[in-house]
Amino acid sequence: MHDPGHGSGRRTIESKYADEPLTQNSGDSSYDAVALMPDVKVLKMGGQSIMDRGRSALFPILDELAAAKDKHKLLLCCGGGTRARHIYAMASDLELPTGVLAALGGYVPRQNARMLQMLLAKHGGIFMLHDDFEKLPLYFRLGCIPIMTGMPPFGYWEKPTENGRIPQHRTDAGVFLSAEVLGAKRAIFIKDEAGLYDDDPKKNKSAKHISRIGARELLKLDLPDLIVERIVIEYLTRARFCHELQIVNGLERGMVTRALEGEDVGTIIYRD
Amino acid sequence: MSKLVTGDGRTHIASSLMRESLVDRSVIAKTDSDREFSIMPDVKLVGLGGHSIFDRGKEALFPLAEELASLRHRYKMMIGVGGGTRVRHTISIALDLGLPTGGVAQLVGAMEEANAVFLNALLAKHGSIVMQREHFWELPLYLESGMLPIVISIPPYHFWEPPPEHGPLPTHGSDFGLFIHAEVLGMEKLYFVKDEDGLYDRDPKKHKDAKLIKKISLGDLLANMPEDLILDRQLFTAWKTARHVREVHIVNGLKKGELTRALAGEDVGTVITKEARHA
Repeated sequence: MHDPGHGSGRRTIESKYADEPLTQNSGDSSYDAVALMPDVKVLKMGGQSIMDRGRSALFPILDELAAAKDKHKLLLCCGGGTRARHIYAMASDLELPTGVLAALGGYVPRQNARMLQMLLAKHGGIFMLHDDFEKLPLYFRLGCIPIMTGMPPFGYWEKPTENGRIPQHRTDAGVFLSAEVLGAKRAIFIKDEAGLYDDDPKKNKSAKHISRIGARELLKLDLPDLIVERIVIEYLTRARFCHELQIVNGLERGMVTRALEGEDVGTIIYRD
Repeated sequence: MSKLVTGDGRTHIASSLMRESLVDRSVIAKTDSDREFSIMPDVKLVGLGGHSIFDRGKEALFPLAEELASLRHRYKMMIGVGGGTRVRHTISIALDLGLPTGGVAQLVGAMEEANAVFLNALLAKHGSIVMQREHFWELPLYLESGMLPIVISIPPYHFWEPPPEHGPLPTHGSDFGLFIHAEVLGMEKLYFVKDEDGLYDRDPKKHKDAKLIKKISLGDLLANMPEDLILDRQLFTAWKTARHVREVHIVNGLKKGELTRALAGEDVGTVITKEARHA
């Protein structure tokens, strides 16, 4: 301990940031980021799009994942779906703050993750919590498929949103941020559409498919609806590692396998 | 609200958000309303700076602990603690090692935990308790039984810290974390105890001619942000869309009695105010 503040009375440890305000983030030219586990394939199983369809949609996808698990390190994250929507609707009716919605929104993806764990148990499916994230190397070393919620752990600390109460960071954001911190190049989203369209294909039959688009370009289009959470596209523009989102139609046989092989099926949204 | 709806291959529960894309702006807007329920509006959240207070040791902490002990019977209070120099050292080492932003964010909370234990040791005989994050809903229990809960400030973003706009430093820091904690519980005022009289137009530790800003609105502050900020930038960004917090006070914890006066409603130090959302 020493007193670099020249009599400031602080007992500080000498370091590069000892006396710098941490509120400034001007950049550090010597910073050279390390990718922690770049070969992990981070996947999201859609809640409304896959889980709520039940066995007919889910089982073929699980077969594909079980077949791929010895070839790839899979981190499987779960979306919420209609029960999460019911919770958000109830909480909005009660006029509760966004942070409470975010905490409540955590329950359903966790349930879904537990369901997937039961179904994949015989193939090494392991349910994990956020606190188990550092055990990923162990799970992979043992040949397991770690399964967790897609929701990030922000909970009550989620920021208030403009014009509404739905938390900005939901399961897409959590999946993207998991890929980013692991240093994985791509995050794969398994949904019930072949990716991004210029309008909701469930409501507009003439909506056009977009197979490849830059994040900035997409934000500029300012579409009223998107297939992934808006904030993920924003983060993608400044991500250090995860430079691509891939959205595939899990209802089409073989799509998940092809995505895991690195094929550009579905839609790729890239950092431009 | 319990009817099950099928027919499109999915099983839905009937609700106003059924089948909807939660990314659709018009759907999100349906969840808005002018009011928001205040969960615990009369709790006072007081944040003690890590760098500014804890790193000064007993010279700063003993008088403050005494002041807090005398205040806790008057108010329902909760204390947040910062990390200080050990957080800065952690960040310096972690960035030199090239750890990703989320990895850095995962590490810093432990240094705040240590300060929570320090403060709890000093205040235990006055009924303080370190409240773990998982015990979020036990706050009423602690307050109703007359205890003084101490929490760490950093939000639990951990490995999932969003990529910053510039540089590798995590941006969701301790001041932001305490702000959100106050906001989600519906508190109207939040107090930061630092080692300066408040917010200055420049860092008063580096510039002798820095001017103290005694009172400013959030709007004016956002329009003219000082370069050396005493609080996290993210706090101000989040405050724009917040609904409950009306005032953020910054008081000098090295001056005895300042916190007491601020809690009693006096404008000491700096007061940043926000006009009502639907005024």
